Amino acid sequence: MASGFKRKGHRFVAQLDGAEREVVVELLLQTHAFLAPVHRQTTGDPFDDLVATLGLPALADSEADAAQVPRDPAMERLLPAGHHDDPAMAAEFRRLTQHGLRERKTANLAAAIAAVMAADGDKVRLDQEQAQAMVVALTDVRLLLGERLGLRTDDDADALQDRLESADEDDAAQDDPQLYLAAYYDFMTWLQESLTQALMS
Amino acid sequence: MSRWAAYGGAVSIAPAELSRTDIAEDLSVDRPWITLVWNDPVNLMSYVTYVFQTYFGYSREKAERLMLDVHQKGRAVVSNGPREKMEIDTEALQGYGLWATFQKDD
Repeated sequence: MASGFKRKGHRFVAQLDGAEREVVVELLLQTHAFLAPVHRQTTGDPFDDLVATLGLPALADSEADAAQVPRDPAMERLLPAGHHDDPAMAAEFRRLTQHGLRERKTANLAAAIAAVMAADGDKVRLDQEQAQAMVVALTDVRLLLGERLGLRTDDDADALQDRLESADEDDAAQDDPQLYLAAYYDFMTWLQESLTQALMS
Repeated sequence: MSRWAAYGGAVSIAPAELSRTDIAEDLSVDRPWITLVWNDPVNLMSYVTYVFQTYFGYSREKAERLMLDVHQKGRAVVSNGPREKMEIDTEALQGYGLWATFQKDD
């Protein structure tokens, strides 16, 4: 039975079994791959792929690309326009900040992945710095999942929760692939809430 | 509000009559720039409060008040000052995953 993050002295400790840690790592890896400034050839092994990106300087996106509004709505949510109604100012801000933001987000995600993979048995232990990286990494995972689930408003989020709660009694709903995504989202939300509370305690 | 108290609600659209900045305004030093955080259905109320406390060093009370403004009014001004500083704040808050923008105060 999973237990969320709790503060233990200077550490933050959660109890997650192997299957739960695998889900967390997989979602962190997918978000890392989505946000990484440069897409490299994959080897088919997510861990090898991740290691291959560590320590390598990311290539600068061309300025023209960087200034463009990202096409994928999830990217638009992870790297939103910096100005609400001045496209020129928003484009300039994006050109100046996009690369650094992507680098910092992927560094956070890599730190979070390493921390979960270093679990001692079922115990995931984080120091303060790792906890700060993890809570931000979980946000980016949830933003990506939330966009894939079509969460645009509070009502969308409520409707998703209702579907999750009624799915247990509805056999047909269990074949819905969106429901798996929703369950992952719910799990990541629970984990992030526990870590945020622990960080603020 | 979702089960996990994610803050959310209809996304506010900035008023169409919101004035474009022009060169004369850009040169004005009296009217500071602001950083805004906009409502979204994913970020947790607790996390938004945590970010305002951690990044700005705001008190728990002030951070919670700003978070509730975002949640209830659709957006909140979270900092103000010179444009360069507002761009730095916007970038940092986007780094935390918040939906932040900067603009000239009006």
